[in-house]
Amino acid sequence: MTNAPAIRLTGLTKKFGTLTAVNDVNLTIRPGEVVALLGPNGAGKSTTIDLLLGLARPTSGDAQLFGEDPRQAIVDGRVGAMLQGGALLPTTTVRESVALIHSLHKHPLSVDDAMARAGVTDLAKQKIASLSGGQMQRARFAVAVVSNPDLLILDEPTAAMDVSARHSFWESMREFTELGKTVVFATHYLDEADTFADRIVILSAGRIIADGTPSEVKSVVSGRTLSFDASSSSGSGIGIDQFARLVGVTHTERKGTRVALQTEDSDATLRALLDLYPAASDIEIVSRNMDDAFMALTQHSATTDTALEGASK
Amino acid sequence: MNIRYFGLELGRQLRNARSLVFTFAIPILLLVVFGGTYGSGFDKVVHLPWIVVTTVQEGGYAAMMAALAQAFTIVNERSVGWNRQLRITPLSGTGYLVSKVSATLAVGLLAILVIFGVSILGMHAQLSVGAWVMAGLGLWLGTIPFSLIAIFIAQFAKPSFAQPLFMITFLGLAILGGLWIPLDIMPHWVTNFAQIVPSYWLNRVGQMGASLSGNIGIPTLILGAWTAALAALIAWRYRRDSARA
Repeated sequence: MTNAPAIRLTGLTKKFGTLTAVNDVNLTIRPGEVVALLGPNGAGKSTTIDLLLGLARPTSGDAQLFGEDPRQAIVDGRVGAMLQGGALLPTTTVRESVALIHSLHKHPLSVDDAMARAGVTDLAKQKIASLSGGQMQRARFAVAVVSNPDLLILDEPTAAMDVSARHSFWESMREFTELGKTVVFATHYLDEADTFADRIVILSAGRIIADGTPSEVKSVVSGRTLSFDASSSSGSGIGIDQFARLVGVTHTERKGTRVALQTEDSDATLRALLDLYPAASDIEIVSRNMDDAFMALTQHSATTDTALEGASK
Repeated sequence: MNIRYFGLELGRQLRNARSLVFTFAIPILLLVVFGGTYGSGFDKVVHLPWIVVTTVQEGGYAAMMAALAQAFTIVNERSVGWNRQLRITPLSGTGYLVSKVSATLAVGLLAILVIFGVSILGMHAQLSVGAWVMAGLGLWLGTIPFSLIAIFIAQFAKPSFAQPLFMITFLGLAILGGLWIPLDIMPHWVTNFAQIVPSYWLNRVGQMGASLSGNIGIPTLILGAWTAALAALIAWRYRRDSARA
């Protein structure tokens, strides 16, 4: 083991025609870190992964794995990956698929060991085409770990999995990370990132807009939106600025007859609202979703330095 | 180079050989029809019995078709994303090429053996063992540029486009190379054009082997040139190919 970072991206940029898919990304991931790459579709997660594996050539900037060229790290068997659009051959069995990749590596795990770690020992003789979505992802995980890599890259590993499959997948992953391996996974599930990562990097429109621990990221994402029909409020002489002053409210918005309040404490805000305006109807309280988080984060990065911004430096 | 990978890959391709039945059916049919009709004659140009000439011709046809049909296998592998999976292994561009060429050569050899077997056992074609071996070897080595054509088609074509591209390439090579009908009955310009088509030389090199005579310098040069040019294009393409399709 060297002291070189598992991943170092320097000024990484990828343009497709006029579209900049990855825009000046700088990121250093130390050996042993478990990092979630979070972002909506089109944020540049998959392109970043292709670039860091050397599967696509950056327009400018540089990617290094363990201080060397990505291709060299792959040849040395230090990198395993489950990629989007990278799949197994439908006509082969699970065991054959793992064995094919196994035969290409210099210091692999045994085929049985790799299958056991991914929990696909029972499926060894099944054809890839006959696997369910969750079983398929586990088979791909077996293929990804068979080289006994130090770094594992997973691009939306739990897409197409139901809740229990997702749970058992992350169980297998835990065993892997407990060996001190580095894991980077792309996801758009915040809860997954929160539960399994030590560090969350959020990408939006090809840029890193947040980089910090799960709790730091959640502090920005947390809170709820309380909305209600306020069609009679002007008649009763209540202005929107009065809603904005209610306890816990951080942001107010009017959409037609509805008013939406962003709040840190929806219980207190609701009680205060009903005192102020008992006629409020069709009340809805929803958790802020990832879209709101991205909105919040992009606004933050546009205005002031936040704790998150500090953490990304 | 990784012997074990090639072994597994080869086994996988041969297990899929069921799909080759159709590949063999047409040349066997042509062999039986032509061989049965004109088989007793003697070809004065190449100094071989007609049945042997036909056998070599159909053997070349079957080997070429078997090799070219690998394009579909590769297109399918590419379209499910297997190539992307391979690119995150130590397998190099050259290694990939060698594994694919050896797989196509394996099915090509199978094709040649089947046609020769049918001819010897079913049509009682007579030739010395040495001449059969040389004819078979000539055809087999001559298959190399066709396996590269298959790989080349597979690299560029999308699944939906592979079929017509394969048909055009295949028909062109079969007709211009004189593997279907004798070139003698074609217009003069076609015969001239045939001199640069690899399938023409595939047939010639097989006939040379069967008659144990002739200058193999020219076919070696032309088939070698095709091989080198295609290999360079494929290696270039593989390095650039990060297609997610």
